[in-house]
Amino acid sequence: MSFNVLIVDDSNAMRAVIKKIISMSGFKMDKCLDAENGREALDTLAHEWVDVIISDINMPVMNGLELLARLKKDDLYREIPVIMISTEGSEERMREALDGGALGFIKKPFLPEELRRKLYEIIGVSNDGEYAENKTNADDLDF
Amino acid sequence: MMENMLKIKQTLMTSIFEVFEKMFYVFLEPVEKTHWDHQVVVSIRFTGPMNGIIAAYFSKGLSDVMVQNMLNLDEGEVSEKLREDCLKESVNMICGNFLRSFDSSKVFDLSLPVCETAGKQKGEGPTGEPGQSLLLDFASGSGMLGIACTVSRPE
Repeated sequence: MSFNVLIVDDSNAMRAVIKKIISMSGFKMDKCLDAENGREALDTLAHEWVDVIISDINMPVMNGLELLARLKKDDLYREIPVIMISTEGSEERMREALDGGALGFIKKPFLPEELRRKLYEIIGVSNDGEYAENKTNADDLDF
Repeated sequence: MMENMLKIKQTLMTSIFEVFEKMFYVFLEPVEKTHWDHQVVVSIRFTGPMNGIIAAYFSKGLSDVMVQNMLNLDEGEVSEKLREDCLKESVNMICGNFLRSFDSSKVFDLSLPVCETAGKQKGEGPTGEPGQSLLLDFASGSGMLGIACTVSRPE
């Protein structure tokens, strides 16, 4: 089973690093989409299926917290898991992100293992792309 | 403020080491002030319970290795765009890491990092403003890094 990932960060370099970490962690990505800010991410979501979003907070045009709020208000997007990766690691900002519906918060700088572990928790697949034992059964999903 | 300046210095140094080691696989050592030519200056401002600016002065050798290590590239694959992007991200991370280590209970707002090419001496340009200033120099096998940090109380 493969996944579509959307990486939202205004830094080309950081998007490339995140993509590399996911690829090297053995997750089977079908599409790795990217966007430079929240606005571009919403535009991408309008025509692409996405299984997980990894987003920075501090971005021009639309920041990560605004993006998160927009996603959670939208019936179509609210169930997409969001992981925030940011330099902004104050307790208040983290609480804001997690209360706003983010499933994870990773502080930059981070080790590849931290992202891999968080993705594993959220997507629920092992490194070789197989379902983990605790993966939600497809029959349990509420469509 | 003196006591705080000592805490600022120690926290900033730890943050710099952490960013360089985790994201760029570069191990820096503090050195006495030296004369060297930097290629790029990247600065970032922060506001909150404490205001300030951090400017980082990168030598070409160091910035080359940072880009190559971060993105797993060969020497010939390093473009100026990637270099700028990578250096901006490093200063963004240093600043964010420094502020949350300094006081994670407070919220600071960070500006977007600004990149300038060489031409100014360390201590001039981005940090030439009122406040307590701190100058730090570091070396690695690949090059040099200078850090200038100016902080002030909010008005």
